[in-house]
Amino acid sequence: MAEEKKLTEQESLQLITEMIGKVKSSFHESGTSAILWGSVIGFCGLFSFLQIQFNFSTGGFDIWLLTFIALVPQIIISIRESRQKRILTYEETAMNAIWIVFGISIFALVFYNNAVPKIVENYYAKEGIELFQKNIATGETTAFHPFILSVSSVFLILYAVPTLATGLARRFTPMIIGGIICYVLFFISCFTTYKYDMLFQAIAGIINWLIPGLILRRQFLKGKSVNV
Amino acid sequence: MFKELDPILHSQLRLAVMSLLIGVKEAEFTFIREKTNSTAGNLSVQIQKLKDAGYVDVTKQFKDNYPLTTCKITQKGINAFEDYVKTLQQYLQVKK
Repeated sequence: MAEEKKLTEQESLQLITEMIGKVKSSFHESGTSAILWGSVIGFCGLFSFLQIQFNFSTGGFDIWLLTFIALVPQIIISIRESRQKRILTYEETAMNAIWIVFGISIFALVFYNNAVPKIVENYYAKEGIELFQKNIATGETTAFHPFILSVSSVFLILYAVPTLATGLARRFTPMIIGGIICYVLFFISCFTTYKYDMLFQAIAGIINWLIPGLILRRQFLKGKSVNV
Repeated sequence: MFKELDPILHSQLRLAVMSLLIGVKEAEFTFIREKTNSTAGNLSVQIQKLKDAGYVDVTKQFKDNYPLTTCKITQKGINAFEDYVKTLQQYLQVKK
């Protein structure tokens, strides 16, 4: 491209349009992180559902701990992708912020779910109060340990937030659909038992992230082959 | 009476660089070179002119032991680009 070539007004406009188009076509999300988290949440949810359904044991291992293990490949993916990126868009910066806040919120919710029942129990113990539950049918009274009711419904709301926001901001229909379905699952999960809540987690993982991730991956590979 | 088109922007390569940078937060020098099909030397000179005008910020650092130059449009650059496009539109409307 010659630096001092005089342009006509029409040529200037064409050049601006062409360059803006070049930036747009060179930016494709790889979808790797979405595939990773869609698979992990999908698997853990489905495993938990089947575990309750068929009543089998994992020797005390909580399958949801896999989500913490999945943080390792996520960190590797993030470092590798940031090294490969040669442009940073404003939209990408905003999306990254949303997903980081989502990660922190999920971590906070896991903490809340594990800590609050114990804190409540300790609080009552300090006041000299012990909670009991009575089975009306048998008349049996046993100690009651507080727990957060239908916490997986709250997880579903959290899943929907960044997914729907990303879908709307990027005009990416699979994530818009995923986010909306996630809200629908949230309402249904308020009326269902823990077993079905786990199934909804699996559906949410697959619809929110795995399927959109696979679509993004396909677009990414197609874009890569075009740019080669 | 029409405003004159900004001479800093009214050049093929500089306008191409500004058009690329207007849509991104920052871009690597190699990316700009690739998309504008220009030579490194030529592009360096034109980016320096844009930098002297205060339209872009250039950051030089090292990434994996290799030098990495990153360019970013400034607020002054955004204003100049917007003015340029507005003036361009005026010219084109008259010519219609």
